[in-house]
Amino acid sequence: MRIGFACAYAPLPLIDAAGGRPFRILPESTAADQAGRILHDNMCPHVKRILDRAMGDDLPELGGVVLTNSCDTMRRLADGWRRARPEERVFLIDLPPAAGERSTRWFAAELERLRRELGEWTGHPISDAALKDSIARYNQLATGLSELRERLNEGGLTGGSPALQRVYNRISTSSLTESLALVRELLAQPTTASGTVGVPVHLFGNVLSDPAVFELIEECGARVVSDDLCTGGRLVQPIPGEKDPVSPIERLADGILSRSACARTMTPDTPGQLGEDLVARAREVGARGVIAHIVKFCDPYLGRLPAVRQALKAASLPLLVLEGDCTLRSVGQQATRIEAFVEMLEETL
Amino acid sequence: MLQQFERTIDALEAKLAAPQGNTPRRRYALEFARLGKRLYDGRHPVAWCGVVAPFDLLNAMGFTSCFVEFVGASLASSGVVDTFLDRAEQDGLVPDMCAYHRAVAGAAALGMMPVPQVLVATSCPCFAGQATMENLARLMERELIFLHVPLEQTPEAVRYLVDQLESMITQITALTGRRLDPDKLARTIERSNRAVAVIEEVFELAAHIPSPSASRELKDFGIAMPLLFGRPEAIELAQVFRDAFAGRIRSGGGNGVTKERVRLLWIQNRIQFREPLVKMLEQELGAVVVVDELNHVTWDPIDPQNPLEGIARRMISNPFNGPIESRISKLQALARRYRVDGAINPCNWGCRQGAGARGLMQTGLAEIGVPVLNLEVDCVDPRSFAEGQLRTRLEAFVEMLEAKSSPWS
Repeated sequence: MRIGFACAYAPLPLIDAAGGRPFRILPESTAADQAGRILHDNMCPHVKRILDRAMGDDLPELGGVVLTNSCDTMRRLADGWRRARPEERVFLIDLPPAAGERSTRWFAAELERLRRELGEWTGHPISDAALKDSIARYNQLATGLSELRERLNEGGLTGGSPALQRVYNRISTSSLTESLALVRELLAQPTTASGTVGVPVHLFGNVLSDPAVFELIEECGARVVSDDLCTGGRLVQPIPGEKDPVSPIERLADGILSRSACARTMTPDTPGQLGEDLVARAREVGARGVIAHIVKFCDPYLGRLPAVRQALKAASLPLLVLEGDCTLRSVGQQATRIEAFVEMLEETL
Repeated sequence: MLQQFERTIDALEAKLAAPQGNTPRRRYALEFARLGKRLYDGRHPVAWCGVVAPFDLLNAMGFTSCFVEFVGASLASSGVVDTFLDRAEQDGLVPDMCAYHRAVAGAAALGMMPVPQVLVATSCPCFAGQATMENLARLMERELIFLHVPLEQTPEAVRYLVDQLESMITQITALTGRRLDPDKLARTIERSNRAVAVIEEVFELAAHIPSPSASRELKDFGIAMPLLFGRPEAIELAQVFRDAFAGRIRSGGGNGVTKERVRLLWIQNRIQFREPLVKMLEQELGAVVVVDELNHVTWDPIDPQNPLEGIARRMISNPFNGPIESRISKLQALARRYRVDGAINPCNWGCRQGAGARGLMQTGLAEIGVPVLNLEVDCVDPRSFAEGQLRTRLEAFVEMLEAKSSPWS
C-alpha cells in the first residue's frame, strides 16, 4: 500500500514498519493548474502543484497521506487535500518547530498517534521490533546515500549530481527494500575519475527534484558537490541512538528533530543557526560558492535569507539566490545568472 | 517613534477634552498611543512577542509587552511605512513576504525597535512571524523564548503548552531577575476576565440590528485589546465602547454615521494605512462592517488560581491556529450571530496562513449563504494599493448583496 508524503520530515520508518510503501508526492505533473480554486495564488508552487495532482487524479492509488505541519503552506495543503479528496485518509503531524526534550516528547506522542493510525490503514499494527528493524534499515540506506554523496564530492560518481538526484527521486517513491537494493547496486559499481570538472558549489534550499536542473547548473560550469535540499540530501538521514534506553518511537522523534536545521526550524538558543550550518557545510565539502534555490513564496526560507546572506558574506562564500517554482523552466530562465556566478567564482580561484 | 506617540497622545487628549470629542475610538487610540509610548520611552521593561503571547502574564511580571506586528501596523497607519519597507527590501526581504514583518525588519534595521528585555515568539499564527522573531533575536543579541502552540485543544496539548509557559516564566526570571508573584498574577487574570466580560457585552451590542458600531470603530479591537489585558485600562476602555453602543441603541439604534443597508463581516485583518474604501462602503453604499473575524472571544474565563491552563487554552483557541475547519466554523458562528449579508477578505498579500485558505473559507461561508469578496490587498504596504479597481469590485459586491435575499430571512 502506497502512503503519500510531501516533506522530508515525514517519518518514513513508521510507514515502512506498517508494511507501507512511502510515496513522495513530487511537484512534477502535467495535471491542470487548479489548486488556486482552493488556495491563494501566493502559496508556494510546491504545494500548489501537489494539490493540482490531487485534484487532477494524477496519483497512483494511495492508502492515505501523511502530511506535516512543517510550514503554513503545508498546513493549508492538509486542509486543501481534505477538501479535494474527502474520501482519502489524511494524517497531519503537528511537528514542533524547535528541537529539545519537551518538543521530542510531544513529537513522540504525535508519532505514537500516527503509529496507531498507520496500523489501521494498512492492517499491520506496528510493533516496536518492526519499527526498530525499519529504523535500522533506513540507517543502512542513509549510510549508503552518504557514501554516494562522498563519491559525488570526490568526482567519482558516474553521472554526477543529476544521477544522484535520479536516485533520490527513485527512493522517494520506492519501498525501502527497493531503495536499499538500488543503492547497493550503485555502490557496487566502480568509481569514475573524470568528474571533477567545474567549480565546486553547494546547492541549498527546499524543493528541487528535476535532475535536468542539476544538468543545467553543471552545463553552466558549476559542479554540485553537495546539496541540502528537501528532495535531496535531507530526504533520508540517520536516526542515531541504537543503544539508548528509549523506545523506538522516542528514538525516531529525537532523530528527526535533531537533524541539522532546515529553514522551518526555530533555533531559539542560537538565532541564525541556519546560516552558520550552511557555512560549515559548504566549507566541509570544499565548495567555492553556494547556490540557493528557494521556492517562490516560501516564508521560512525567504524570511531567513538576509541572515544566511550575512553569514556567507562574513565567511567570504559567494551566494547566488535563484527563486523558482521547482521547474527546469524557472531555473532555465536564470542560466545567464548561473553562468555569471560561475565566472565570478572562477576569477576568484 | 516616541515623538510620534507623544504627539498623538497630546492631540488625542485635546480632542477628547473638547465638547462632544469624547468618542470610544479616540479613547482606544489614546490607550494604544500610550502603550506605544511605554514601549519606546526607555523607562519600561519591554517584551516583544508573537501574536498569541500571554500579555496579561507578562504584564503581571512588569513588562510592557506587545506583538511585533503592532509596529508594522503603527508605521502604516502613520503613513511612514515606505521607508521601512524599502530598507527591508534592501536587506533582502522580498515584497512577496508579509509586509507586517517586512516593516518590523526595516524598523529593527534602522534602529526603530527598542531592544527588549525579553523576546517571546509563538508558533501561532505563522512561520513568517517565527522567522521575524528569530531575526530580531539575532540582530538585538537577545535570547529568544519560543512557545509551540499545538494545533488542537486536547488535554495533552494543554499540558504541553502549560509546561512551556512554566519554563518561559523561569527563563524570564533567569534573564531579567523579574519574578512572577502568583497573587499578582491572580489579580491580573481577574482583571483580564472582567475586561473580557465587558468585551463580550460590546460584541453582543455590536450584533444589534442596526449595529451601533460604525465600520471603523472596532477595527483591530479583538487583536489589540489583549495587549492591555490585566491592566485597568482594558476594562475602562471596553466599558466606554459598551456604554456608547448601549446609548446609541437606546436612542433609536444605528451608528450615527449611516443608515445600515448591508451588514458585512471583515475576515482577518484590516487595511492599516489610510484608505477611503471602508468609508465609501459605509457612507456611499450603506454597507457597514459590523464584525471583524478577531472580534471574537474564543475562550472561557480563566481560573485565577490555575491561570496557566486557561491561558494555554486561550492561545490554542485563536482562530488562526489549527485546521481550517475550526476557523471556518468560527467564521460561520460570527456570520450567524451578526446576521451578516456578506464578507470581505482582503487576502493580505504575503499571508500564507490566512490568505492561503481563502478558497476554503469562501466555500465554508457560502455553505450558509454568505458570499465572500476576496480582494488582493497588501494591508500594510500602500505602494501597490489599487484604489480604483478595489472600489469597482466593492461597489459590485454590495450591489449583488442588495439584490439577493438575506441568508437570514
